[in-house]
Amino acid sequence: MSELCWTSMTELARMIAGKKVSPVDVVQAHLDRITAIDGKVKAYITVMGESALAAARAAEAAVQSGAPLGPLHGVPMGLKDLYCTKGVKTTGGSKLLGEWVPGEDATVAARLAAAGAICLGKLNMHEFAYGPEGLNPHYGTPWNPWDVATHRICGGSSSGSGAAVAAGLCPGALGSDTGGSIRIPSSLCGLSGIKPTYGRVSRAGVLPLAWSMDHVGPMCRSVADCALMLAPMAGYDPRDPTTSVLPVPDYGAALTGQIKGLRVGLLRSFFLESAGAAQRAAVEAAAKLLESQGATVEPVDLKKVDLAPAVSHAVLAPEAYAYHEEWLKTRATEYGPDVRERLRLGAFVTGAEYLKGQRLRALFRDEVDQVFARLDVLLAPTTPTAATAVGQSEVRIGDGSFPVRPSLIRYTRPFNLTGHPAASVPCGFTTDGLPIGLQIVGRPFDEATVLRVADAYQRLTDWHTRRAPLGG
Amino acid sequence: MDGIMRYSPGMEKLTVDTLRILARAQGLELTDAELTALLPLVEGGRNGLAAIRDLPVESEPASQFRVF
Repeated sequence: MSELCWTSMTELARMIAGKKVSPVDVVQAHLDRITAIDGKVKAYITVMGESALAAARAAEAAVQSGAPLGPLHGVPMGLKDLYCTKGVKTTGGSKLLGEWVPGEDATVAARLAAAGAICLGKLNMHEFAYGPEGLNPHYGTPWNPWDVATHRICGGSSSGSGAAVAAGLCPGALGSDTGGSIRIPSSLCGLSGIKPTYGRVSRAGVLPLAWSMDHVGPMCRSVADCALMLAPMAGYDPRDPTTSVLPVPDYGAALTGQIKGLRVGLLRSFFLESAGAAQRAAVEAAAKLLESQGATVEPVDLKKVDLAPAVSHAVLAPEAYAYHEEWLKTRATEYGPDVRERLRLGAFVTGAEYLKGQRLRALFRDEVDQVFARLDVLLAPTTPTAATAVGQSEVRIGDGSFPVRPSLIRYTRPFNLTGHPAASVPCGFTTDGLPIGLQIVGRPFDEATVLRVADAYQRLTDWHTRRAPLGG
Repeated sequence: MDGIMRYSPGMEKLTVDTLRILARAQGLELTDAELTALLPLVEGGRNGLAAIRDLPVESEPASQFRVF
């Protein structure tokens, strides 16, 4: 097994620019590993071996010629299979688009390529991004690399992205997040991932689940790599009118390791108090660690967060139905049963209910903004539980048994409604050796502070450096 | 104007038959089994939202229209 498959994106970029390693060798090492273990992991739907090697050879030639290099020059990555890729099929994890080949790239795919990144392939996902478990009846459900013996979920919907990065099948990947689909698989697969502010990163060319709640962001093995990936993706895009014209800060420069004087809120009721014991202990320990470095920590309650499940249903379900309506009438049998049923629910939400949801959403956003008038970041568990077994519908949390699906999205979806930036980083392991995620939420368009805090935490801990057994 | 109740608590409970009518009105032909499976999920969504009673009348939806 090549150590190149465990080298960070930051280090790979440095090594390639310094002629210490050829991008061809880096790409080939990952392709070899995909060949060796992806039959079990099922992270990829499409492997772009030929085009990746061709791009790597061109990248090597550019290095040798002394041409200016982008920040990700020659570094491989993967794209969740809902990012349009010119000339390469983009399935959305569905049979309905099984042979669809877009005519142009998603903006973020083009921007990453312009920064020098090389796409290894298109990654598996919950069909049309509509599920937090990351199941897929059409292309196989990705295997969580943290348990070799039991087929556990990776979390979703970006399950292939989570599996691929955790198993060393690419050093970083794009996910998308409508209710937690970057943060949940980051939590369950022991990765770092960030959902930027709504409007920070273009959604143009990304298959939608719910237009007003979809977010685009990276999933990597470190926060520093997330910063490296996010920088070229972010910023205004005329193809997506919801993107902001605000300037994009230097995320790499924000990673100072300094958190002295940082004002931290620890989200208590709804979040910490309903989490599993291991998740609660890990997040409380993380808060104490930040406090020991000069941050102040205080408990915080969000009074309106109880509204999130109902409001999310009112907004997400009809937006998803509106996109899929024609297919649901003419090609319903081609959907997997769980996603078909979930999509149909949106047909029964009235216009008034949708707008009630959007009005409540604004009130909840205002409440979170008020909290950020006196605090810099909020902490919470990313998920109340670790990865469950594929097919498991109920999970024990504390003294109770709860359905897996709503449990997984409980702590993440509130911030899809508000649009605030939110990251997940590893903060411990259960006694079964499964990763636990720490969620860090920030002010609108202040990804820099979220990344700074998350990176500072990683400078103090080694959770993010551990390798999954299936990956090792 | 906080606390004004604007939504009637008297919503009629859905049945498989009423759900079928609603589905057909939108061009969806669903089997009895599909309707039966959907019914508690639709009811859950409706009830969750209907239970929220304290929406201030001056609140506007988060969605926007942009001229350019």
